[in-house]
Amino acid sequence: MFGLVATAALTAALITAQMAGFTRLDFPLVLGTLVTEDPDRARVVGFFIHLLAGQGFALGYAAAFAVLHRATWWIGALFGGLHVAIALTVLLPLLPGVHPRMASQRAGPSSTAVLEPPGLFGLNYGVQTPAVAAVVHVIYGVVLGLLLRAD
Amino acid sequence: MTGPRPLAPISDYGLLGDTRTAALVSGDGAVDWLCVPRFDGEPLFGRLVGGPEAGTFRVGPAPPAPVVERHYRPDTATIRTTWAVGDRRLTLTESMVAEVTGRLLPATLLVRRLSAEGGPVDAVVEFDPRLGERHRRPRVRRRGGVLVCEWGSLAVSLSCAPDIAVEPGRPTSVAVTPGRPVTLVLAVASREPLVDVEPEAAWDAVLRDEARWQAWTAGIDGSLPFREDVVRSLLTLRLLTYSPSQAPVAAPTTSLPEDPGGMRNWDYRYVWPRDASIGVNAFLGVGKLDEAHGFLAWLLHASRLDRPRLPALFTLTGRRVPRERELAGWPGYLGSVPVRFGNAAAGQHQLDGYGWVVDAAWVFVQAGHRLYSETWRAVRGFADVVAGRWGEPDAGIWEVREAGQHVHSKLMGWLALDRALRIAETHRLSARQRRRWQQARDAIAEEVRARGFDPAQGSYVRSYGSEDLDSSLLVLPLLGIDGIESARVSGTIDAIRERLSAGGPLLHRYPPGHDGISGTEGAFLPCSFWLVQALASTGRRHDAEELFRALREHASPLGLYAEELDPATGAHLGNYPQTLTHAALVQAALAIRDSPG
Repeated sequence: MFGLVATAALTAALITAQMAGFTRLDFPLVLGTLVTEDPDRARVVGFFIHLLAGQGFALGYAAAFAVLHRATWWIGALFGGLHVAIALTVLLPLLPGVHPRMASQRAGPSSTAVLEPPGLFGLNYGVQTPAVAAVVHVIYGVVLGLLLRAD
Repeated sequence: MTGPRPLAPISDYGLLGDTRTAALVSGDGAVDWLCVPRFDGEPLFGRLVGGPEAGTFRVGPAPPAPVVERHYRPDTATIRTTWAVGDRRLTLTESMVAEVTGRLLPATLLVRRLSAEGGPVDAVVEFDPRLGERHRRPRVRRRGGVLVCEWGSLAVSLSCAPDIAVEPGRPTSVAVTPGRPVTLVLAVASREPLVDVEPEAAWDAVLRDEARWQAWTAGIDGSLPFREDVVRSLLTLRLLTYSPSQAPVAAPTTSLPEDPGGMRNWDYRYVWPRDASIGVNAFLGVGKLDEAHGFLAWLLHASRLDRPRLPALFTLTGRRVPRERELAGWPGYLGSVPVRFGNAAAGQHQLDGYGWVVDAAWVFVQAGHRLYSETWRAVRGFADVVAGRWGEPDAGIWEVREAGQHVHSKLMGWLALDRALRIAETHRLSARQRRRWQQARDAIAEEVRARGFDPAQGSYVRSYGSEDLDSSLLVLPLLGIDGIESARVSGTIDAIRERLSAGGPLLHRYPPGHDGISGTEGAFLPCSFWLVQALASTGRRHDAEELFRALREHASPLGLYAEELDPATGAHLGNYPQTLTHAALVQAALAIRDSPG
């Protein structure tokens, strides 16, 4: 349950940043297009995949808090920072290798993949993408830290 | 070493490309322009505008010999150049490998093969890579038979079969004997390991690519008028499309001059929404749905950060175009300075851009495709901007640096609202928004007819209160603001044809020099193809065909077009080859096909 709340907070912050024109990063779209090419449907499917993934990561956060025997908002924020560092430097750049609808930097004329590769730090989705991603992940960690401390 | 060799005319250059970057190669076998790792990257060979210090890669006869034949192999992106060396022949066949996905190949792979006929021929290899603005020399090492040049995270390798001891910056002689071709392979790695490719394997990759291009062009309607020209233009458009994002770059070059010796030198290695939009039309018109969809998807993806405002241009990945700056010490093409990186037009308000983009979405709907809700949301946003800002001055399609009340911009604003309203017939739209758009559309029509039309000339004019004409108004018959039978439409076409004529089929875009920039310029080629389109769509098919034939005579020997031509000499001017010109050529041929005349 806590994972769902934290993921919802992350998603709300990300959508706000998108609407404000800070980034083109759209997790529900990127995840949903693993399943369907229709972006409208992809966003719905992707949202649930995102919630599920958020729940999985929350279990990881909970396990890490348990190892430390304490849960605080600032430890959650640190975990969020680590999480986003891995996401931006490892997960996003690897995505074109497995995503059927995302082009790679090596795409050629036969490529019908239409999602642009995010590039290192997701910079292809706007120069402020790393900052936005960092903020929303820190929010995610802070929310989990607060909720798990209260548990 | 490279100093004494004069630069070739622009039209002498051929385009090699892999849909991520492109090289320009002259008739004497010199790659004088190649940016890595993509179109807007740093020049690796920059001699074209950077002078001898900027690097080149020449492979050809030693000493230079006359070209007896040069062409693209049919329906491919491979160039074949043959020189006569006495009674012998030396042939260079060269290409870049476009399709590398799923295979262990470098992202950029240039393959050049020399072969001889009639006896051995002495050839020369001049390999002088220099990187970036300061012409940085590489750290050089040899690994087996492979020459490796490194600049930090960027490395290029040159391998040869049979083995040749090429040394960067020095000419290397090689004897080419019949039946024993010499193959050179240039591989580029940016922020990744170099991949060694055996020359024979690289040549096989070229042949596979050729088969792929031939299969691609085979799908283009065989009965199209001027099909050969259309196919070359479509191939050029595809080569100039950056595959990772589907963005069409306006041209692969910067600062090739519109006025040789002057300062009209701009960086075109970016993407203009209007080019993408015209590309949607061109590719849809020949049934290339994937490419049309790719262009539209890129447009909507790129504009997302700035919506509902539509920037005048983007980088290949939809980012802000770098600030315009001048490169110190770069001599420019034929002394045309400054050489510029970046483009100041990025900050301009260009109302016409909205019209091109919304029209592309409408064309897509007309072809039977429903817009996704996000696409329709974007279109609604663009239409709202037009409804709110159409009365403001803008820089217009020609990007003049002082804003004005441009009639073409107003017409394109009208087009944006008209096409958005048509799309709304099958998509959701609130009654309030619909009313707002209708009112704005009608107000534009009323104002343009009152203030943008000169009854004395019987023509629409360039801007309110001006007597100047503007060739961009040739799109008038396609809009529908006035019927194609209207005297306003035919009057505008005839007036432009007569008063902006640069001789033969050539047109100036507006009276030369009327743009506040020193120097003059040539005839603007897309306008000539728009004239073909205007004539065809108003039933003057015969005139349109005649004009098209005359324009073909101005193509480069390889069938390519720059943006402009010098009417006096026929020399190509401006960045080259040019997406807008080739897209306009395709649209002109399609208009002839569909002409009621």
